Amino acid sequence: MELLQKLRRYYPGSRKKGGSRKKGSSNYAYTTTRVRAMKVHLFPKETYPRLMNMDLNEMTRFIQESKYKDAIDEMARNYKGVDLIENALNRNLAVTFTKLIDISEGELNLLISEQLKEYDIWNIKTILRGKYCNASTEEIMEAIVAAGSMHYTEFAELASKDTYQEVISELVESEYYPILEQYTGDNLDDIENQLDKKYYADLFDVIGLAKSKDRKLFANFTRTGIDVKNLMTLFRLKKSGMTDPEYMDLMIDGGSQMTLVDIERMLDLPFEEFIAELENYPCWDEISDVVSSDMESLSIVESRLKKYRLKSAISSSRFYPLSIVPIMDYMLSKKNEVNNLRIIIRGKAANLGDDFIREQLVI
Amino acid sequence: MSTEVVAAETAVNTVVDNSAGLKAIGAALAVSATGFASAWTEKEIGCAAIGAMTENENLFGKGLILTVIPETIVIFGLVVSLLIIS
Repeated sequence: MELLQKLRRYYPGSRKKGGSRKKGSSNYAYTTTRVRAMKVHLFPKETYPRLMNMDLNEMTRFIQESKYKDAIDEMARNYKGVDLIENALNRNLAVTFTKLIDISEGELNLLISEQLKEYDIWNIKTILRGKYCNASTEEIMEAIVAAGSMHYTEFAELASKDTYQEVISELVESEYYPILEQYTGDNLDDIENQLDKKYYADLFDVIGLAKSKDRKLFANFTRTGIDVKNLMTLFRLKKSGMTDPEYMDLMIDGGSQMTLVDIERMLDLPFEEFIAELENYPCWDEISDVVSSDMESLSIVESRLKKYRLKSAISSSRFYPLSIVPIMDYMLSKKNEVNNLRIIIRGKAANLGDDFIREQLVI
Repeated sequence: MSTEVVAAETAVNTVVDNSAGLKAIGAALAVSATGFASAWTEKEIGCAAIGAMTENENLFGKGLILTVIPETIVIFGLVVSLLIIS
């Protein structure tokens, strides 16, 4: 059975465009219950204040004794200290998400696999960035999270290439090649934008006309994610005083609350009016107490927006317990846990202040 | 015995025979429909229970109990079918 699941992961050729895989073969009861049982193992929110009071050695020991033990044991041969923890967190995240692909079937498997292509794109971007700044293979591999359809060894092979041209020529069979071949060595930001847009375009292509309830829920989840991403980009642009319409190219189409027209209108507004305009959106309740015209740092706004997305996923998963939403909620929560642990450990290692670290956390 | 009386008796016998057949069909439907219903629900609950047990073996007892609860549906069906044919 496991062999069949692995083969299916490596040869997902049976998938058709428009997501026409039969719904009847999905195993929602099994997958959602298993994922709920997995969610119980996530650290409760009380853990983070406790971690904040520990020193680096205590934190390392705490994480070593938790569910990350296997990943730490596996990586201990090659890394030590903070690097070991960070690599183990990435490894655990990849194993957990790959497991979701392995245990799901039918439409559910298709939607999860599409969602996780985010990591394929992330890894390709990481390798290109690494090559751009002449990072070593080891440094690049530290940031790789092989949770998508491509395997860790494939990324290791790509990272070991000497130049970005060799990396791109290795990806000639990949669906990202038409975008990657436009890379000239100095337009990385443009390539990254195009890859992100392709990811969301493919997601909506798979969702199709969203006739079934699950596809509608998945579409809503994705659209909320796009809203949050666009809003973060908008905040960064507004804070830097960039109002040129050409920056609209950085926005992703398909948000549920904010259309591109709304965003374009807000891009033109002065910062105070932009904040006033945000009062009409549901995320305002979450960010209202940290947003002001004289705010200096955007990190707290970004963590509040991530919290808003997490909260909306949690509330939807309670409304639709036997659907894709609890699985997406788990994926988001797991990713958030790993991010929080990374922030605390890296922050402590760099001797950052507790208040600053706490601001970055999404609890 | 006149021809009309014989015809009437035949008709009554036919109706009695038919009602016995209909009773049997009703009883069969009661058992089979409830059997299908409980099988379907047990499949769903069983899948969910196995999913939960895979992550936490301690849930075996709870999973087993929850899986067999829909069995009551088919027991009700059996009782109803016995009442119909008795």
